Amino acid sequence: MALLARVTCLVLTTLLAIAGCQAKTVTYDFNVTWVAANPDGLYERKVVGINGQWPLPVIEVDKGDQLVVNMYNGLGDKTSSIHFHGMFQNGTNDMDGPSMVTQCPIPPGSSFTYNFTVNQNGTYWYHCHTENCYPDGYRQALIVHDKDAPFANDYEEEFTVTMSDWYHTLTEDIAPSYMSLYNPTGAEPIPNSFLFNDTLNVSIPVKPNTTYLLRLINIAAFVSQYFYIEDHTFKIVEIDGVYTEPTEADTLYIAVAQRYSILVTTKNTTDQNFPIVTVADTVLLDTIPSDLKLNNTNWLEYSKSAPYPQADIQVAQAQDLVPFDDITLVPSDGMPLLPEPDIQINVTVIMQNLMNGYNYAFLNNITYTAPKVPTLYTVLSSGNLATNSEIYGEFTHPVVLNHNDVVEIILNNNDTGTHPFHLHGHNFQVLDRQPPVGPNFYSNLNGGNPVNYDSSNHTTFPSVPARRDTFVLPPYGYFVIRFVADNPGVWFFHCHIDWHLAAGLGMLFIEAPTQLQERLSIPEDHYQACRAAGVPYEGNAAANAQDFLDLAGENTQQAFIPAGFTARGIVALVFSCISAVLGMAGISVYGLTDLNFHTMYTGPDAPNTTESVAMDNVQPKTEENTG
Amino acid sequence: MANVFGVQIFFIVFRECLEAVIVVSVLLSFLKQTLGQPGQDQKIYKRLERQVWVGAASGVLLCLVIGGAFIGVFYGLGKDIWSESEDLWEGIFYLIATIIITIMGLALLRINKTKEKWRGKIAKALAERNKKQQTSTSSRIGDWSRRYVMFILPFITLLREGVEAVVFVGGVSLGLPATAFPLPVVCGIIAGLTVGYAIYRGGNVMSIQIFLIVSTCILYLIAAGMFSKAVWSLQYHVFAVKVGSDVAEEGNGPGSYDIRETVYHVNCCNPETDDGWDVFNAILGWQNTGTYGSVIAYNMYWIGILATIGCMLYRERTGALPLRQRALAFMLKVPVLRNYAKRKQEMSREEVDEVMRQIQDDTRNDAGLFKTEVSSEN
Repeated sequence: MALLARVTCLVLTTLLAIAGCQAKTVTYDFNVTWVAANPDGLYERKVVGINGQWPLPVIEVDKGDQLVVNMYNGLGDKTSSIHFHGMFQNGTNDMDGPSMVTQCPIPPGSSFTYNFTVNQNGTYWYHCHTENCYPDGYRQALIVHDKDAPFANDYEEEFTVTMSDWYHTLTEDIAPSYMSLYNPTGAEPIPNSFLFNDTLNVSIPVKPNTTYLLRLINIAAFVSQYFYIEDHTFKIVEIDGVYTEPTEADTLYIAVAQRYSILVTTKNTTDQNFPIVTVADTVLLDTIPSDLKLNNTNWLEYSKSAPYPQADIQVAQAQDLVPFDDITLVPSDGMPLLPEPDIQINVTVIMQNLMNGYNYAFLNNITYTAPKVPTLYTVLSSGNLATNSEIYGEFTHPVVLNHNDVVEIILNNNDTGTHPFHLHGHNFQVLDRQPPVGPNFYSNLNGGNPVNYDSSNHTTFPSVPARRDTFVLPPYGYFVIRFVADNPGVWFFHCHIDWHLAAGLGMLFIEAPTQLQERLSIPEDHYQACRAAGVPYEGNAAANAQDFLDLAGENTQQAFIPAGFTARGIVALVFSCISAVLGMAGISVYGLTDLNFHTMYTGPDAPNTTESVAMDNVQPKTEENTG
Repeated sequence: MANVFGVQIFFIVFRECLEAVIVVSVLLSFLKQTLGQPGQDQKIYKRLERQVWVGAASGVLLCLVIGGAFIGVFYGLGKDIWSESEDLWEGIFYLIATIIITIMGLALLRINKTKEKWRGKIAKALAERNKKQQTSTSSRIGDWSRRYVMFILPFITLLREGVEAVVFVGGVSLGLPATAFPLPVVCGIIAGLTVGYAIYRGGNVMSIQIFLIVSTCILYLIAAGMFSKAVWSLQYHVFAVKVGSDVAEEGNGPGSYDIRETVYHVNCCNPETDDGWDVFNAILGWQNTGTYGSVIAYNMYWIGILATIGCMLYRERTGALPLRQRALAFMLKVPVLRNYAKRKQEMSREEVDEVMRQIQDDTRNDAGLFKTEVSSEN
């Protein structure tokens, strides 16, 4: 009898295990240190390595797994953190990663454990989320395998392709020249090269007549890429972790942080290798150095003996390429358009100089300025005041959302640049974007004025809108997105161009703070990192733990530049006028005394000349009489 | 507007023209007084008078030719040099222009004194020539120069004045386009002739003086503005070099200037782009951005002018600049500077009168020479 029970138990557990509760825990131990690397063959430099290697290890998990990353900061001189881009972190907001939002920056010598469940599928990536960090090579792919994907059986093999820009200088050494008095236009630093899988000249070996899955991830700091394969089209099956109905395309515009999964079916022949072409979006670059290689060629390798031709670029400039518009994709789960929003957030991107002469990036009139206490810890330590957005500080640009609100964000762009905006903790439905991706993407620049969203006059929203977590905002244009606030947490909404984030292009959503307080507890190693970093973890944005409504001492943005005359200017002008008037009075006096010379010696008693000349009359000395 | 009428050119040409007219008028009145009295030989008088005019005219003509050539070559060859670092050159040119105008501007207010100065100079020149004549053996050149002294004197004087004018004009207007030259030159000549003639005729002294005062005030306003602009341009150049090419993109807005140096900034009224404000800029040195440097420079300039005027009035009142006597006395003792000091001890009025009497006598004697020559030519 006991034996039967035991066997049944064993059989049941095995069945359960096979049936899908295969959820396992995948653990990575990351020892983060500096290593040296030279990926473009042009320059060897310090990069952030993990466990002594660079490129970094790819994190691979299955859907439903528990991912544990034990990070040790061995950098010695730099703080760090890890954000798992695209992960919802539902119930685990403290594992999200952005410094001063959901955690303290991890100081050198500290350890930090990220532990969360991956209840989603698709292509993601992880990267450092402290200031001036991830462009130093601290980024890599994160793949969530899903054997139940709708296209799971449609391909033979999968490849992960990352594309990136690359700088030869440490980010913290470039940063002072970006946020600088002498960079008043906010021109972003120009990269030195572009990489494909963190290297160059990659060949992806393929067999003829086979379908492959390519996971494309843009892990750059700044520059978007156009992507196409010569003589091949492909089917888009996933964007940012959202499966889509397979849609044919030939050119993609992949902005920073965006991902695409495509199915590529190879040709019948084996006598050619075909270039995989990535073209940097040069519109983003303020200047283009003559030695910067803008296009990269890698290959679909059909045959090792065939030649490897360079890409045959047919267009004169990058913006002549016509990429696929991701807003037209249809998610394969058919999730319908969300209902009318409970809260509508209307923000406008503006780039502007402040009193220190630096060019900052604004949403409306706020440039994101980090608080003194990570905002999540403010939520957790503020008790009843958690729903009062004042406690989070004015300059973190906080918006409190109620649990399960339908949130609509209208993002207008009063800047001439494109911005890929990313929302943590969610993906969102993309409802409208003008101008659309395609040949007219830059057309609003011709008018010279931004075109803002008009809620009474816009294109009809799609009934099953596309969803993703990073979406490109057109120059002088706008986009409209919706999501449900079903994930209590503090979520960052920001431009993913790392320079713009440093310039403050972001805002915070404090989503369901009451529920967050009920559900979340912070592990001790997180607070330990705060103590080691000297960052308080209780209190409002001004680190005031007694009176949360007293924000004296909070980190503020610089003052705006006054538009007209200030007191200083008026004083200066008044003094200048006075001195000019005095000067002219002096000249007049001097001039009038000349008349003395004239009248003195042209009278009837002048010497016997028809005209006389003047003389000093007061004390005729023998020494001086000429001018 | 500044592109067709360089105000500083007008004033320099005006001033030089005025001084030239004064020279000619002094010579003419000397002639009239010496030889033109009723009862003296009118033919000789007329002949010498004509010499003066011819000398003056040739001097002017020659210096116009030289000036035109100088400016033409200068602009033909040199214009491209400074398109690159425009602000640096502009700053330097404004500085040169300010210095030149400042030095010569105040002299405009001592027209009556200028006559005395020229009287003294001509007296000296004639005295030296006479001296040379008497000591050296008669040479052909000596004879010739004696006979044509009334030609040579105005010719050389005017040539020198004219070249001075050309150099000054070149100096103050290095930043202007070539189209900004003709109009002010013509206007300056006309104005100079008019006022000079008015002075010669001994017209309404007061209104002439007021005219001169007003024009000098304007001249110094321009110079003060230029000084301020010079400092501004140099500061802006330093900023532009550090920013690189982007600085032009910003137009009038923030980022187009170094905010840390700024006292005021308005987003309008930029003399480089907005109409009308460039006149304001030309006359008063207005910029829509004021730096500490440019504002302080403007005020310092006027204070400097006031100090200079104070010193000059003091000198006229007491006969010497403060400390000048002591300086000269000291220099007389130093062997190297002795000659310089001696030269600076100018002739007194009595000495000038004495020399003039002597010259008049000599001229009358020479007139006898002319008479014989004239009659022999006849």
